[in-house]
Amino acid sequence: MFSCTIPKLRIIFPTARSLSSLASPSQIEPRQLAFPPKYQQPRQVWLENFDTIEEKKLAILELHPEVFAANPRVDIIHDNVRWQSLYRYVSYAHTKSRFEVRGGGRKPWPQKGLGRARHGSIRSPLFRGGGVIHGPKSPNPHFYMLPFYTRIHGLTATLSIKLAQDDLHVITDLEIPTDDPNFVEELVKSRKWGPSVLFVDESDIMPRNITAATDSVKHFNLMPAYGLNVYSMLKHDTLVLTRAALDLIESKLLTHLHKNNSVPNTQKYKLNQV
Amino acid sequence: MLLNKLTVAFNIGKVCLPEALQVRFRYHADKVARGPLLRRYGYEEKILQRGTLPRLKGADRLCKPLYTPKDAWTEKRALFGQNDYIDILGNERLHPTRILYNIPPWLRGVGGNEFQVMLRKRNMLAKTVYPLARPTKWNQLQKRINYLYRFLNKKTKTV
Repeated sequence: MFSCTIPKLRIIFPTARSLSSLASPSQIEPRQLAFPPKYQQPRQVWLENFDTIEEKKLAILELHPEVFAANPRVDIIHDNVRWQSLYRYVSYAHTKSRFEVRGGGRKPWPQKGLGRARHGSIRSPLFRGGGVIHGPKSPNPHFYMLPFYTRIHGLTATLSIKLAQDDLHVITDLEIPTDDPNFVEELVKSRKWGPSVLFVDESDIMPRNITAATDSVKHFNLMPAYGLNVYSMLKHDTLVLTRAALDLIESKLLTHLHKNNSVPNTQKYKLNQV
Repeated sequence: MLLNKLTVAFNIGKVCLPEALQVRFRYHADKVARGPLLRRYGYEEKILQRGTLPRLKGADRLCKPLYTPKDAWTEKRALFGQNDYIDILGNERLHPTRILYNIPPWLRGVGGNEFQVMLRKRNMLAKTVYPLARPTKWNQLQKRINYLYRFLNKKTKTV
């Protein structure tokens, strides 16, 4: 909405930032929760700045309890992580059966009269260099599809755990004044994040400075909101969302949790369905 | 022996108490004092008999690869799993199986046993250049499918 109409400034000078009205807490509008919760209290999180090393708490944001205070279902999270690693895994281990091995058409020696055992092919499984019986055959996919709402509950459970363990932080945006990796490292160290941090923004085009600064640090990673997943959240110690990413993720998850017709999503997975 | 000594003592005419005549044979201590028993005299032992290390100092290293721990934060591992929830958090009409670019198109989102996977491969590749470009592989695929068809339908129980 707001960010769509006014283009974001990519290059911001320190003077412009000091003059900007962003830092005053009264200017920051509070969040309006879609599908207001009936029974649970909204969770709260600090909105922090990202343009200086020392932390400035700008405002308190409310988080929807259905997304950020869900049950910490470790079993569902395990199902999700297992699915993530298996649904794309294909074993390419391969052995050749006797018909696939080259040669072996001629009878190696006569049936009788030599005092040797009778054989019909040098590619029989009894022979060295022959075919393999019951060996692995390539490709062997381990694909299966996790139910749609199990995946959604995996996301909410992991987000809730991250918030409860103080590993979820919300920042204004990913604009930093320099492209020096030391800046981000110092920032992460002083705010006691990390060691590994996952920065999530709304779109997949990130500001130049944060891209250049985190490029050389392997355990600082950038991800668009649509790329967020359970495995990455667990792999990284700290999850840092921009406010726009927070809005997007929460609205997407709430939409799926509250929609009337969930039949298309809950049907059994069929090949070539999409 | 003891009796001999006792008779000697009586002959001398002294009254001797048994403890004064005690004779001790220290079999074990004597054996230790003699040193280790020499076995196989003249044989030169070629194997190193003591010490935990099988190699001598300065000897060549065994030719096996040095252990290098894998880097858990290469780009592939650090971003593993990205876009697996793209139908939930992004475009609802894009299924995560459609973007598995690391595996061949006919294998994306395919599960099942060897027979099912091979049938899928045959159906998908029949109209491509594969039968002409890889005639041997294509032939082997057909042969394996025929074998598995006969095995599964005629040799195994139908559930």
